[in-house]
Amino acid sequence: MNAGSPPHDADTPLLAVRDLSVRFGALQAVDRVSFAIARGRITSVIGPNGAGKSTLFNLISGAIRPDSGQVLFRGTDVTGRSPNRLLDAGLARSFQITNLFFELPVFENLRLAAQRLEPGWRALLPTQRSAHALRRAEALIARFDLAHKATAAAGALSHGEQRRLEIAIALATQPELLLLDEPTQGMSHGDTAETAALIKSLAGELTILLIEHDVELVMDLSDHVVVMHQGMKLAAGHPAAIRANPKVQAAYFGEAAVA
Amino acid sequence: MADAGAVITAVRHSEQAGHRTLTSFALAFIALGILFAAVAASLGDVFFFRLATEALIFGGLALSVDVLLGYAGMLSLGQALFFGLGAYVSALVLKNVLPSFWLAMAVTLAVGTVAGLVAAVISIRARGVYFALITFGLAQVVAKVVFNTPRLGASDGIIGIPVITIDLVGFTVDTGNARAFFLFCLAFVMALYFLCAYLARTPAGRVLAAIRSNEDRVPFLGYPVGLVKVLAFVLAADVAALSGALYPMLRGFVSPELLYFEVSGNAVITAIIGGMGTLIGPLYGSALIVGLKSVIGSYTAHHLIVIGTLFVFAVIFFPQGLIGYFKRPLERRLGARSASTSP
Repeated sequence: MNAGSPPHDADTPLLAVRDLSVRFGALQAVDRVSFAIARGRITSVIGPNGAGKSTLFNLISGAIRPDSGQVLFRGTDVTGRSPNRLLDAGLARSFQITNLFFELPVFENLRLAAQRLEPGWRALLPTQRSAHALRRAEALIARFDLAHKATAAAGALSHGEQRRLEIAIALATQPELLLLDEPTQGMSHGDTAETAALIKSLAGELTILLIEHDVELVMDLSDHVVVMHQGMKLAAGHPAAIRANPKVQAAYFGEAAVA
Repeated sequence: MADAGAVITAVRHSEQAGHRTLTSFALAFIALGILFAAVAASLGDVFFFRLATEALIFGGLALSVDVLLGYAGMLSLGQALFFGLGAYVSALVLKNVLPSFWLAMAVTLAVGTVAGLVAAVISIRARGVYFALITFGLAQVVAKVVFNTPRLGASDGIIGIPVITIDLVGFTVDTGNARAFFLFCLAFVMALYFLCAYLARTPAGRVLAAIRSNEDRVPFLGYPVGLVKVLAFVLAADVAALSGALYPMLRGFVSPELLYFEVSGNAVITAIIGGMGTLIGPLYGSALIVGLKSVIGSYTAHHLIVIGTLFVFAVIFFPQGLIGYFKRPLERRLGARSASTSP
């Protein structure tokens, strides 16, 4: 419980997007999308290829600016804020395409991210003095089962290990809200199950917004599901309700019958 | 957890092996410099002292190239801008204001910082080859302006810089004394090296390695990429300017050639031959290249043909440069030693 800071009352959703829209040329990539996510839950965004899921993520995480609409984080308008200012506020993201520092050691990847926990002036002292960041990196490397690869270059890891490191990096700054962009993309069946368990274990500590292709995984993990189709929100609700929703079934399996 | 700290310790050992190796090369460089001074002094030489001092000064310039190229992955083709600027500012202060080493250095540092900031704001947003071209262009513009400014001596430059006495705590160094000034420059350039080497190992310096590795990801770790690059650029500008400020003390004159592309290009070649990303490599590289130019130059006027050919062979067969080539085996031995001596 974060009592103290004013916008923290339980009624304010951690994240809310209101009428978010962006257009790339002729393509209306995201079209007046609104939803809110509750604290401590796993919310997922699903939808067929090209539905606008990744664009929506880029809008929320500050990678691109919306044409209209708002992103509210803890009730504060953070629309168009740069990624590093969003991180200050407590919002971190991982990437769909593995986006690591491939030439640097695995531990250094995590330490770089965890350095955010230290006061700025410590950046000019020897690295060993940033003990908090080092301990955070060590805790994460153990939790994500990468300790035996600590001094190996991130580029030398297997695909599954790289995907895990990707999530660990996003977690390093102890965010309140973690955006995971297809965390199990390209993983083997075993790795996927492991990662799903890992994500589930995080849910008690922070709030997660997930984009995922694997519908079964989403249904299993999520407390709340938002379905996107052609840039618009098609449906939102509990996984069981979403599974039974005819519009969703049409979007996924039919021939755009309900567009 | 039982093994809390074990990973941190393992990582520190692996980092220290690399760091100790480079420090060994730095200490060896100082030892070689002192050895050279002893031999040259016993022969009563002045020429080689002046030449070696020049190698140190241009080594400082190559060091500044390596700060950008070897750490942040930014290729500056205009580093002569700051080197020449430092030389001119130092010359003007010494000749027209006060023959004080510390004043010349303080003014050079201030001007170098401002010029670095201005050039950074212009160039920093561009990446790769575009950044290289902008730095190249900026240096050409300033070189032409100096070349055409009569008050700066135009094409003749500034001559008649007085010999000065450098006040150090407890003793003084006369720039007219070839041996003493060589040793002073050795200490000065090594101080710049140790400053850069220290910064490179701090969390701030390591952000540069992250930028070189994957610039687009860095903002998502919460670092202001633009600001970090500007600071690195200004540091490199200051190192180049302070090195340049020594030049008129050595030669007694400055000329627009110090701002030309040949100086910038040579610094890049020196950094690459010496070993990019090692910081000490550029100093070895400078000693090698200045030495070779002088030795080969005494046999033939076409020494650039020889140097050019050497560069091609060096890049093909020793892409890691001199220090990069010798670093690995030494690192392995030091790494093995620190692992066996650790509890």
